[in-house]
Order: sequence, then C-alpha cells, then structure tokens
Amino acid sequence: MVPFYFGGPDRPLYGCYHEPRPGPGRGCGVVLCPPLWHEYIYSHRAYRQLAARLGQAGFPVLRFDYFGSGDSGGDDDQGEIPQCLTDISTAVSEMRRRSGFARVCLVGLRFGGTLSMMSGAERGDLEGLVLWDPVVDGRVYLRQTRTVHEERLGRSLAKLKHGIRNGTNLEILGFPLTRSIAADIEHIDLLAIRRKPANNTLVIESDAEGDQGGLREHLERTAARVEYQQIHAPRIWLPDREGGLLVPNQILQAVVSWMSRVQP
Amino acid sequence: MKEDAVLLGHTRSLVGILTDPGEAANDTNLPAVILLNAGIVHRVGPHRLYVKIARSLAAMGFTVLRFDFSGVGDSRARHDNLPFERSTISEAQDAMNYLAAERGIGRFVLAGLCSGADVSLKTACCDPRVVGAILINAQGDQLDTGDALRSYLLNRRKARYYWKSALFRPKMWLRAVRGEAAFRDIMRVLLFPLLSRVARKKKALSGPSQYAAGLRFVAERGMPLLLVFSDGDTGLDYLHEVFGDELRQLCSSGKIGFHVIPHSDHLFTLLDDKERLLRLMRDWAHGCFVNVQPGAEDDGLLHAQRPSIGGRVAGGGKPA
Repeated sequence: MVPFYFGGPDRPLYGCYHEPRPGPGRGCGVVLCPPLWHEYIYSHRAYRQLAARLGQAGFPVLRFDYFGSGDSGGDDDQGEIPQCLTDISTAVSEMRRRSGFARVCLVGLRFGGTLSMMSGAERGDLEGLVLWDPVVDGRVYLRQTRTVHEERLGRSLAKLKHGIRNGTNLEILGFPLTRSIAADIEHIDLLAIRRKPANNTLVIESDAEGDQGGLREHLERTAARVEYQQIHAPRIWLPDREGGLLVPNQILQAVVSWMSRVQP
Repeated sequence: MKEDAVLLGHTRSLVGILTDPGEAANDTNLPAVILLNAGIVHRVGPHRLYVKIARSLAAMGFTVLRFDFSGVGDSRARHDNLPFERSTISEAQDAMNYLAAERGIGRFVLAGLCSGADVSLKTACCDPRVVGAILINAQGDQLDTGDALRSYLLNRRKARYYWKSALFRPKMWLRAVRGEAAFRDIMRVLLFPLLSRVARKKKALSGPSQYAAGLRFVAERGMPLLLVFSDGDTGLDYLHEVFGDELRQLCSSGKIGFHVIPHSDHLFTLLDDKERLLRLMRDWAHGCFVNVQPGAEDDGLLHAQRPSIGGRVAGGGKPA
C-alpha cells in the first residue's frame, strides 16, 4: 500500500494505492469513494479492509479523501458537491495513470455511493459501480444526519438546545454544514438521473430502514445491468455505543465476489 | 505549510502525515509535535480534530506528525505479539526516531486524546526526548483499578447524566409517566452523589496507580504538561480520585496547565468546544516553547525518579 498526495498543489488529495496481488491482472481498477463527515470517519476501517480484499482478488485499488476532508488539503468548510465530483474524476485519472488500466469501477457507501452514481452518469465511462446503502434523497439525508447529531450529543450535552444550529451556522457532529453544501445536498435526487451510470451496477442494502427498491427499478430503466443484494448488517457509518468501528464481513465479501464476476 | 504522506517504523509499515511549517518556521529550536491515535480512530482524529491541531500548530512554526499505530487506520498490523501497551510506546518512539533522522529534531511534544493521552504520558516517562505533553481527556489506568472504584466512577457518570441532562428532557418524563422507566434504579443513581459522600471508604485504589506515578514523575521533572478535560469526563473524575487535593499542588508548579472545558462531550464535538480546545493548545505551546531556550523545560530531569512504565529508554538506559 502506498500513501501519497495527488491532484496538484492547489487542491492536494490524499490517496492510498493498493497494488493487486501478483499474477494475472483483471485489467480494471477500483476507486473507493468515501462518505461525508462522521460517516467517513466511522467507515474508514471497513474501506481499508475492502481495499485489501479487492487487492487480494487482483484489483488495483485507490482510496482517497475529498478536498476538505480526511487527510486531503482544505478546511472542513471547503467541501462542495461539484468539487467532490471533480475529485472523483481526478482519482479515476490517477488510478488509470498508476495501474495502466483504462477500465475503472467505483464503490461508494452512503453519500460516497451517491457521488459515485452522479459521477458515473456524468462521465459515462465506468465499467462497474457498487452503491452500498446510497443516499437517494438529499433532503432525507440531511434530516437523518440532523437527528443523529441531536440524539448523539443530546445524551451528553444539556446545552444542545439549538440542535444543529451554532449561532448563525449549522454543524453536524463536529463538521460545519455550510449553506452552499446544504443547498447542494437538498437538491440531490438519484431517481432524477436519467443516464446510465455504469455498465454494471450492484446495489447493496444493509439498512433495514433503507429503501433502495425504487433505486433498483430506476437503474434498470437506464439500461444498466443491475444486481440487488439485501444483506442485513449494522449501520457501520454510525458510532456504536462502545465507540467501535465495525467491518461487515458479509458485505465486503459480496462486493469482492460481484466485482470478480463482472470483471473476470 | 506543506503536508506529506510518510512511512515510518522498523519495517516502514506505519503511515503518517507530516506537516511542515514552511515559511512559518522562524524558530528552528522548536520541538516537533507528535499526535497519537485516539482509540482506534485513524490519524485524522474524531471529526478531523487532529488535522486541525496539526495545521494550527504548524502555522505557529511547529513540525507536526500524525500517524497510525500498527493495526489502526492505514498502518499494517504487527505480527510480533507485542502487547498494545508496549507497541504503542515503541511506535511513538519510532515516530521520534523518524523525525530525528528526517528533520534533525531531537525534542518532542506528544499529544493525544483519550488513549492517545495515556500513551503520551507513558512515553514521556521513559524517553527523555519528550519535553512536553498535551493530555486530552486522559483516562489513566482506571480500568486496572478495583471493582469498587470502577463502579463508583460509573455511578458518578450516570448521576451526572441524570442531573445535568435526562431530568430536563420531556422524553424522559414521558417514559416515566408511561411506566417505562426503572424508578428504583433512577432514584439510586440520583441519590448517588449524596450517598457516596457518606461512604467514601468504598472507593479505594486496589494498588499503586502507574498513572499517578507517571504524572508525578513528569511534574517533578518539570516537564511542561497540559491537561485538558471535557466537563464530566470519567477521566477527570478518576484524576480527582487519584490525586485529591494533591492535584492543586501539582498544578501550582506553573508547568502544568489544567483546564476543564465546560459543557463539552468526550470528543469536543461541537465546533465551539473544538475551537476552545485548539486555543488552549496554541496558548500553552506558545507559552512553553516559542522564544524559549531549549533545555529550560528539562531542569528537573536529573532529580526525578523514573516510574516503572514499559518502553525503550532512549540513550541506552533501562526502565527503573
């Protein structure tokens, strides 16, 4: 695994490149697109494990952080949705440069899945796409994150009278929610995307309260080959009571198996 | 300021981000700052706190390294069966060795939240290259204490939760009206602060606290130390139990900064709390190291008795 920065001095992005195991290659690289904010922190361990397993299955893998998140340059309030899509494109180019493969798949959990699908539909050149409990409706997502913020902190902080409001600004579990990113997220609706995001798409639904059925039908109408798997697992993108970071073995295995099938 | 991804350790298996101050580096005598993982959260820290700390201190001229212990974040797991409490100290020393080799820096400030604070203190006790430490919500060795003290700390936390939060939440009263709340347990917890004052003898340490010995050691050594706690953190309760009135004496030396950030949670999640924490760290680092002659903070080193805490001792010595 090689940690490095890429993407130019004005917009440095942190990345980790996982070499595929030696042997006959798959001819296809995989870029893992992370979720946002606290969901990025809590899912980091699972992403690393997934990258290692895909590497073992013969795929070169690139994990990266969007600008203004993780180890990438920029402050917490500098993240913007259009720029996140640009960062995904930069990561795809970096993967092609490092691996020498033109074919690329994206994998994204929660909002990482949302951004992956938006990027795929915009680019039109993705081989495969894994949407792992993607956020389909931006307004629902903002409502959910607000609830998590209030429940999580309300337990320990009596002063949390104003919910996510911090003076004139908003915040979600330690991250500023700028008005521009909130407005961008509110307008996101994956069911409004008409173009095929990738040749092959896997939708994984692990959240019992999620509803990806509509997304599956919608994707089928875009002429993409779609597979849907329901795998019950804890919400790894949220903190558990003991502060543990969970790795859902069954889901990681499902991603690797599907990827190996569609990219033999 | 410039950030680079680096590999360090004996087998270059530890992944870190090195923040160089660049043009902000006016004072070449400043120690480097090393940030140690908060539990198993990778090196960006809870809600990216460590990134903010690193950039904030680098803007003051400090070189800052945040890295992942083996098996955490991007770093590979070890296969030598070294227990976590020893491997973390050893790897903190690997980070110092790396900065010494790559940047020619020989003095270090260790900082961390929760378990990162505990590793910082233990490493400071066995490596004289550590000239300062920032301990944020240090938990100490409370898990190694007797059942009575652990139970006392747990009940105290629950009592605080009810008195400061739950009693003022309509949802809690709604549950009580519906008969969904365990009244006997709640009454026991609510009365706990009063009852515990009457029966103080119940909370006794089961043996000598290495945590206390470590804090005394660095205090006697005269090493600058910043202790920051969130209001009501279990680590703060434990510190009071371990030291009692001695805590005030320890802090009166002037080299130990002690601060409690009111109404904050364990991770300083709210943006205002995070900013308060950063300000404390910046002020402390400025007061202790900026425009201060190197070595001035080490006066007490030769007179202090090193406590028995695992780890390699730099300079060829052995832990006492």
